[in-house]
Parts: sequence; C-alpha cells; structure tokens
Amino acid sequence: MIEILSVTGPASVQDLGRFDQVRFGVGTSGAMDDVALRAGNILLGNDENAAGIEIPMTPFKLRFGRDTAFALTGADVEAEIAGRTIPPWWRTQARAGDVLTLKAMPRGARSYLTVSGGIDVPIVLGSRSTQFRGEFGGLHGRPLQVGDILPCASWSVTIRDLGIEPAEITLARSSAAADETTVRVVIAGEYDGFDAATQQLFWQSSWKITPQSNRYGYRLQGPEVKPTVPIEKRSHGIVPGVIQIPPNGQPIIQMRDAQTSGGYPKIATVISADLWRVGQARLGSRLRFEQTSYADALAAETEKSAYLDRIRASVRLVEECLT
Amino acid sequence: MTIDLPTIERLAGMLERSGVAAIEIEEAGQSLKLVMDRPIAAAPARAASASAVDDASVTAKADIAGHFLAAHPWRAKPFVEPGQRIEAGAIIGLVKVGLIYAPVVAPAAGIVDTVIAETGALVGYGSPVARIRPVAA
Repeated sequence: MIEILSVTGPASVQDLGRFDQVRFGVGTSGAMDDVALRAGNILLGNDENAAGIEIPMTPFKLRFGRDTAFALTGADVEAEIAGRTIPPWWRTQARAGDVLTLKAMPRGARSYLTVSGGIDVPIVLGSRSTQFRGEFGGLHGRPLQVGDILPCASWSVTIRDLGIEPAEITLARSSAAADETTVRVVIAGEYDGFDAATQQLFWQSSWKITPQSNRYGYRLQGPEVKPTVPIEKRSHGIVPGVIQIPPNGQPIIQMRDAQTSGGYPKIATVISADLWRVGQARLGSRLRFEQTSYADALAAETEKSAYLDRIRASVRLVEECLT
Repeated sequence: MTIDLPTIERLAGMLERSGVAAIEIEEAGQSLKLVMDRPIAAAPARAASASAVDDASVTAKADIAGHFLAAHPWRAKPFVEPGQRIEAGAIIGLVKVGLIYAPVVAPAAGIVDTVIAETGALVGYGSPVARIRPVAA
C-alpha cells in the first residue's frame, strides 16, 4: 500500500481509460499521457492497462508501506527516495517505509507513478480511472488527498534499476520554438464554415495554453477564429482531441475528462497519436497545429506503437542479458 | 559465468540484436573477444590500461554493452563529477542500448577519482567507467 503524504493539484488514479461506456454518455477518462503510463507498466512487467497515479504538480510525497518496485515516467521530475535521486523514465525498488518525493517538474506537465502489479482500486464500469465529472472510479471518484491509502496489487518481486528513453526523445518532432509543442490534427466537420483567411489564422498562430486548461479540456488564447456565419449545431458526440470553436473564437481542445457531446463547431481534431503531447504541454506554453491526413495519422499511430514495441523487446532483452 | 559454447552463442545473439560491434570478457583464467563480421560504424572503446590504476581505488564497470552517457539526455549535469562523495550503489552514468538506459553503479562508497568513459563512447561488458577512492562509510 501507498500513503499520500503531500499533494499539490489534482493527482488521480488513472489507467488507459473507460472505453466501452461512451454510448451511455460516460467519458473515457484515463491517463492524459497514455504513452508514459504504458511505458511505466512495461518497465515493471505489468499489464499496460494497470492503474498508476497521474501527478500534475509538485511537490508530491508518498510513503511505501511495503517493499515495492515502481517506475516514474512522463514529465521530467526531480525525484528522490531514501536519499537517492531517481533519473527520468526509471524503475527502481522501494523498501517498506521509504518516502518518495517529487520536488520539481522542470519539463512536461504530468508525471506517472506506476507500481508493480498496479494500483488496486476497484474496477468501475470496466476501468480504474478516476472520473472527475461523474465522481466515480479511482479512489472514491476524487483527486488524491493527504492521508489517502492506496492499495497495490501485491507482487513482491525485486527488480534492478533500469531506465528507458523518454518518448519525447524517441518520438521527437521538430518544433518551431522552445516552449512550443506542435501537434498534428485532421480537419473536422465544420472546417469549411471558416473562410480561407480564418483557416490560415488557425494554422499559423502559436496558441497560448491558458490556466483554464486541465483534464477536461485545454482553453487556448490567440487571435479570434470565427466562422463566416455563426454555426449553431445540436449537441452531438465528441471525443478527446476535438478542437471546438466557441462563440468567442478561442479554441478548446477536449481532453480525457471531456463531456461526450457538445454543440460548438469543430474546426479540427488532434490525432490520437499526438494527444499525449498535448497532455504534457505546460500551462502558459504554446501549441501549434499542423494539418495532417488520415493516412499520416494512422502512420503516426504505428510509429507510437513501434516505440512501445521496442521498449517491450529491449526490457526483455536486458532482463535476459543481466540475469 | 563460465564461458561455454551456449554462452557464446547467446552473447552473439545479443550483440546482433543490439547492433553492438564487439564484446570482450575477462574472467579469472579465461578471456573472450567476440567481433561481429558485419561492418559496424563505430569501433568499441578499448579497455583502459590498468597501469595507471591506483591500487587503493575501485572501478565501476559497465555490465552491458552500449554507449556511455555521463548525464541523462534531459539533464545538463552529469551523474557524478571528480571529487564528489558518493554512496555504494550510486548511479555513475548510463549505458544506452537501443531504448534502454542501464545504470553503471558505484561498487563502494567513496570519492569519485576519474570518470574514464566519455559520453557517446562504446563500452563493453566489464569496461571500466569510473575510478572511485573508497572511504569508510
């Protein structure tokens, strides 16, 4: 078990998400950076859907109640356990009573703590993910608080320290400027409702991520992007990644805790292979959209899978080599 | 480890899969050098000569073949610097093999004397990475 000693911001238990309930209006939730959660689970030999803790802010501190192998992936954090510094994207062993401290997050927006066997909260509607909107899943359907005790599925394996190359390095894409993230998008249903000049504005702007950005959605700030004539649609199904344009002309990217329906016009959709990049984009930093085709979006998904396949194979190879 | 034929075969398989050109292993009374006959761009770093080694110092060695990294790619600061006091088990650097970053750890507590391997250099199994002057913990 794990005891939360200090928490800043809405940390929560997340697995990959709740994918079979969208037709009932239940959003997916799940890790904002699915690549990092999977990578942590691969390092530990877990099922890749095992639940971990998504940590959006530091300082964060917890105590391990028993000997536990764990991994930290996702954002770069300055982390320490029992006086040892833990490098990024790393697995190591905690002893019973050890305190893990995440002191600062110099890069990225969400760190993932995965533990051997996974965080063992009850499965609700097919997933352990915390659903903030519906207040279920995870631990009592809410963000973690000081004093919370999280059960871990017991696996008393001892592992040696090992790191993997962060996804951001392997899957790097050239970025126009520092502190700017470029994500690939496909155009969406109402794209043609914007005139050519406005469409150009959407592509050419560097969008600032406002403080009103979270697991529900990212509200962006930049030049006004408005349709030629106001578009009023009935609410219809939307998915994480959809970029809506509300009447103020400032885009909103729907994220993991988004509603399952909405009526604002949709200008584009972030491809699923790049959603983790949005999840790691920091408040106050900038986003740029790059138009891509459906075929290239699928190719990007393949590239992401290939990275995870290589990690899986490499971890196996090293275990074989060093034991 | 005894160096028998199955071991050599297994090592050769690992070299091939990890794209490493060569490996040298020295054990008491036996030594092995495996070189892949495919052309591979970089030559392996030769094991540093033992002549200059201070008898009192201990050596942190790589236990896997790959490229040495003195610092994590996300960090400007190396894991250790000469003169630094470290504990047994402290991370001295990383060996990058494909997407894996395997740690090289200090065999004993002490003061870092020299980091022998350079970032980017190919190290082999048993390659010395750093010298440490032990101090009583």
